[in-house]
Amino acid sequence: MIVVRLFGVLAILLVISFLTFSLVYLAPGDLVKNLLGNRPASPEAVAAIRAQYHLDDPFLLRYLDWLGSAIRGDFGQSIRLQQPVSTVIGDRLPNTLALVALAFLIALATAIPLGILSAAREGRFSDSLASLLSLIGLSAPSFAIALLLLYVFATLLPIFPAYGAGSGGFDTLWHLVLPAVALAAGIGAILMRLTRAALLRELQSDATTFARARGLREADVQVAALRAAAIPIVTSAGLVLTFIVGGTIIVESVFALPGLGSLLQQAVQFKDLPVVQALTLLIAAVIAVITILIDLSYLVLDPRVRAKGLNR
Amino acid sequence: MRSTPFPRPWRRFAPALIVAAALILTGCSGGSDDGAPASAELGDTGAELETVRVGLAASLANLYIGQEGGINNYWVAANVQEGLLGIDADGKLVPALASSWEQTDATTYVFTLRDDAKFQNGDPVTADDVVFSLNAAADPTLSPSTASYLYTFDSATASGSREVTVRTTEPDAAFLTTLTNAGSLVVTQQQFWDKYGGAIGTSDSLLLGTGPYKVTEFQPDSHVILDRVDTWWGGLPKVKQIRIDFIPDENTRLLAAQNGDLDVALSVPLKQLPQWEELSGGRVESVDDLSYTGLFFDLSVPPFDDPKVREAVASAMDRETIVDKVLRGNGEVANTIMSPPSLAAAYGGDQARDLLMRVPAHDFDLARAKELLAESTEADGFETTITYPSAGSQLGTAAQALAENLKQLGITLRVREVPTEEWLATIGDGQHGLGFMWYFSTTGDPAEISSYLLGEGNPSHIADADALELISKAGAATEPAARIDLLVELETLNAENTYAAPLWWGRSLTFFSDAVGVRTFTPYTFIGPWGNQLFAAAQ
Repeated sequence: MIVVRLFGVLAILLVISFLTFSLVYLAPGDLVKNLLGNRPASPEAVAAIRAQYHLDDPFLLRYLDWLGSAIRGDFGQSIRLQQPVSTVIGDRLPNTLALVALAFLIALATAIPLGILSAAREGRFSDSLASLLSLIGLSAPSFAIALLLLYVFATLLPIFPAYGAGSGGFDTLWHLVLPAVALAAGIGAILMRLTRAALLRELQSDATTFARARGLREADVQVAALRAAAIPIVTSAGLVLTFIVGGTIIVESVFALPGLGSLLQQAVQFKDLPVVQALTLLIAAVIAVITILIDLSYLVLDPRVRAKGLNR
Repeated sequence: MRSTPFPRPWRRFAPALIVAAALILTGCSGGSDDGAPASAELGDTGAELETVRVGLAASLANLYIGQEGGINNYWVAANVQEGLLGIDADGKLVPALASSWEQTDATTYVFTLRDDAKFQNGDPVTADDVVFSLNAAADPTLSPSTASYLYTFDSATASGSREVTVRTTEPDAAFLTTLTNAGSLVVTQQQFWDKYGGAIGTSDSLLLGTGPYKVTEFQPDSHVILDRVDTWWGGLPKVKQIRIDFIPDENTRLLAAQNGDLDVALSVPLKQLPQWEELSGGRVESVDDLSYTGLFFDLSVPPFDDPKVREAVASAMDRETIVDKVLRGNGEVANTIMSPPSLAAAYGGDQARDLLMRVPAHDFDLARAKELLAESTEADGFETTITYPSAGSQLGTAAQALAENLKQLGITLRVREVPTEEWLATIGDGQHGLGFMWYFSTTGDPAEISSYLLGEGNPSHIADADALELISKAGAATEPAARIDLLVELETLNAENTYAAPLWWGRSLTFFSDAVGVRTFTPYTFIGPWGNQLFAAAQ
């Protein structure tokens, strides 16, 4: 099963690599102009640069060139940074990983308890309050939340630094708190709503009614319902994790964090194909791995899935 | 040279929020800094400064100006690397690595290197290093962004142990300015270049030069740290360390300055000026920035091949009002492509202004614009699009104003904001007939912009033999005043044909905290070794 899934993932990555390559190729902008700047350029200089980056080769040949190298593990050189793509990504990966992990933890730690509380007290004040909070989180764009956080927690109450990635270790973590909260706000809201909905559905199910009819304690009933709701909650948490990766583009730009999100944004604008290709594939691969992990988690969470798997 | 701030579309929504934030802030902060003294009036305590923190409005990917040559790259590199010559506060050529120079004939220059010139690693600068650096700067694949300025460069030879002879293919009056760090030449050591296979200016290789500061840390899109060195021939600067952070988001930059995280912030956005002026503990200084903004026409795109159409559009632009209202006076209505400070070699400020104001210009006159359009091939009006870079919101406002005026002529102008890189690609692409030219000159050479816009291979697709002849004559002129006369003639020819329609000469706003003063603040300060100009101000 897993092997089939992995082959599926590889096929998808191949398609994505072709699509991204085509999109960057077709997108407005001109790599030569980006390199030369707004200034006079002799036809010889333009020709030399076009030859250097094989810009006059046919589209398919350029793609196959890239693909051939990529299969050999060579993702090329960043045109904008003049460094190997692996170095460029390696330098920024820790920041983005830490940011995403922190944001995900914050989202999980706040949204799931709030969602459970909200479902357990459906219709009451705490439910309305939690719903209001999630509505704000969902509807406010993340750059606005980021600026508001900056204003409140970096300027009015100067607790956190305003920008940058810090000097490593705890300092970096400290610098990542505000960006992580900004990133967690939107996804936490989604997660909270999904948790609430999943749990409510279980609480209103026949199984719960039956459990109550049998005279089980309310606490036990709720634990049982929560366990049954675990699959949709885990699935949504996984989906939300994939959203975070996209959200880093905005948050990293606002907080001037050198991470993969801001790298992707600038690479796209500069038409730095090697970086765009490698990053898109990396993100796609991570998302694919996350979905596989979610599926595997069903084995742990649901005895029925486990039994089915064993019967095969 | 291009500026490379990295804009984001969602920033369009940000001002409302930040204005709200600023309103709250002014309510609780301790009042404004009206009447804060300019640098010139600040006292120098003579003390050393540990660290000066600078905020840049752009994100740098590479520190070598031959690889990435945005104006911000020039500012950073100016502390680290030098050319044979430099440009002083008044825009005049001064010795840098060359202690003296001589033009032996129309196309030959001989430079004598300074005896005390050393790289930051302690090695002396050799004539071979200079020759190597110059050849690298002129190679379009090694140095895409500087090579085009060295188009008249022919050869460089080490004609003595401390002597370099440089030849040009034709007489070129602007050639010496391209041998400055503000032009195309930043001297590095060949050994250093070879060690990194030419990939210099990256986070691994950093940068090696001869200036007062060396790069000790560089993280692309994050920051660069410069530490002073004792190898510079000009002495030891007062500021021990300069930390330059790249903060492309203007709101984040403002908040960082509010927190006291920045001592200097370059490129304060015009629309944020009131908020920056409110900051306690600092001041905003305004200086000519040698930038040119004008309407750009591509003559290969109809109807802009018709001079009457171009003139009608240029006459519908209310430049006075835009400079007054949009730029809030931080700019000057431009009659010509070259700006008054660029005439420094021959004329002082007022004299230069008088001379340039004599060139005919297209004054705002809608009635005249209507007449012109009626006489043109497009008497019934037409539809077109103008794009502007998201980094230049003032261009967008100017475009909207132009669209309003053009509507009265029956011309429908759609205004479109695009990322700066996309805007760059529209210039002279044969599809966008009307656009903006927004150009930051670093050298301040009077012919730098006009020869780009009207000369050989110009992006407007102008084929005007008279213009080419004037440019070539000006290039061969040895007397500065005679050269400027020819360039004024070129400007007149441009105005008569409306090839390029000048709008304004820009001014840049820079924030300084009260702790920091800058000795001389002119358009040329940040393209020289500016770390050496900073001092601890008496507060």
